[in-house]
Amino acid sequence: MNDFSELESELKRLRPTEVGDALFQRIERALLRPNETATAETATAGIIPRQPSRTGTWWSLGLGLTAATVLILLGLGFFAPPQTKTTPTVAQETPAASTSPSLTSGLQPSALTQTVYRQRDEGLVFSPNQSERLLRRVRYDTRETMQWRNPQTGASLRVSYPAEQVVLTPVSFQ
Amino acid sequence: MERTLDENWKTCFAQLGPALLLFARRWANCRADAEDIVQEAFVRFWRRQHSIENRALLYATVRSTALDRLRSDQRRARREAAVALDRDEHSEPCFSTADEGQQLLAAAVERLPDEQREVVILKVWNELTFAEIATVLEISQNTAASRYRYALGALKKSLQPHE
Repeated sequence: MNDFSELESELKRLRPTEVGDALFQRIERALLRPNETATAETATAGIIPRQPSRTGTWWSLGLGLTAATVLILLGLGFFAPPQTKTTPTVAQETPAASTSPSLTSGLQPSALTQTVYRQRDEGLVFSPNQSERLLRRVRYDTRETMQWRNPQTGASLRVSYPAEQVVLTPVSFQ
Repeated sequence: MERTLDENWKTCFAQLGPALLLFARRWANCRADAEDIVQEAFVRFWRRQHSIENRALLYATVRSTALDRLRSDQRRARREAAVALDRDEHSEPCFSTADEGQQLLAAAVERLPDEQREVVILKVWNELTFAEIATVLEISQNTAASRYRYALGALKKSLQPHE
């Protein structure tokens, strides 16, 4: 680096242009103003609080609720008390698949997968609780799939829905 | 470090402002945009009562502020529209130059690639360590150091008289 020392000295002699009075006045006005964005600042400290993107959240929530409703409805059907069995007779007809409760009972969880299809590094943010604490925010868009299977009949049920995860990792300054 | 709003922020900003503006120009099309970024970042930093000695945090705030602004659709549209324009035609001088030699040096700094220029700005006019620069720019220390060396090499080469 020694061969650059003269150049570094020259660079240090170069002065950035001074800040105009207008900017001082703007900052002064901003500092004197009541902390109108205090709520937002609490969350992100020195970073412009971005309007949280609710679209994906509502989308996920809607799909999740739909999936849950389907599960409940199916569960009510699956786990309803079995009908009283009649004594089988030789002449008994083969029951139709759609009316057989035994076909859908005994489902057991068989798989749970989470596929990350997008990862976004959103940079540094400040901890909402500890204002000095700097965190890196990474957002993951995932698809979670749950599967149940009846080992006896081979029947299976699969529910898949999108989800969003935000991971905050502490960053330290020296 | 505890302090109040009445503390002389003007002294701090008078000292740091020019270099902050220089740094913010990386993400701004003009000085006015850079001033917007610096104002917003400095006000938030000051209100948080962070230690003014924590330069890395201050510059990280400026960078985050600038990037957040770029992410917004409105700013992005303005930026994309401005890409087609010749940057030099619309930019005001970043340095106060005293003589022709300094003018040449300032012009050479302006011509540096953005990623090298920002390292030079943080190192020379803000006196950040490579570790701090690495944190601010979210790069490794080695990358910061090598960008600095490349930048100085490029500056030296550009200032040599042509044969």
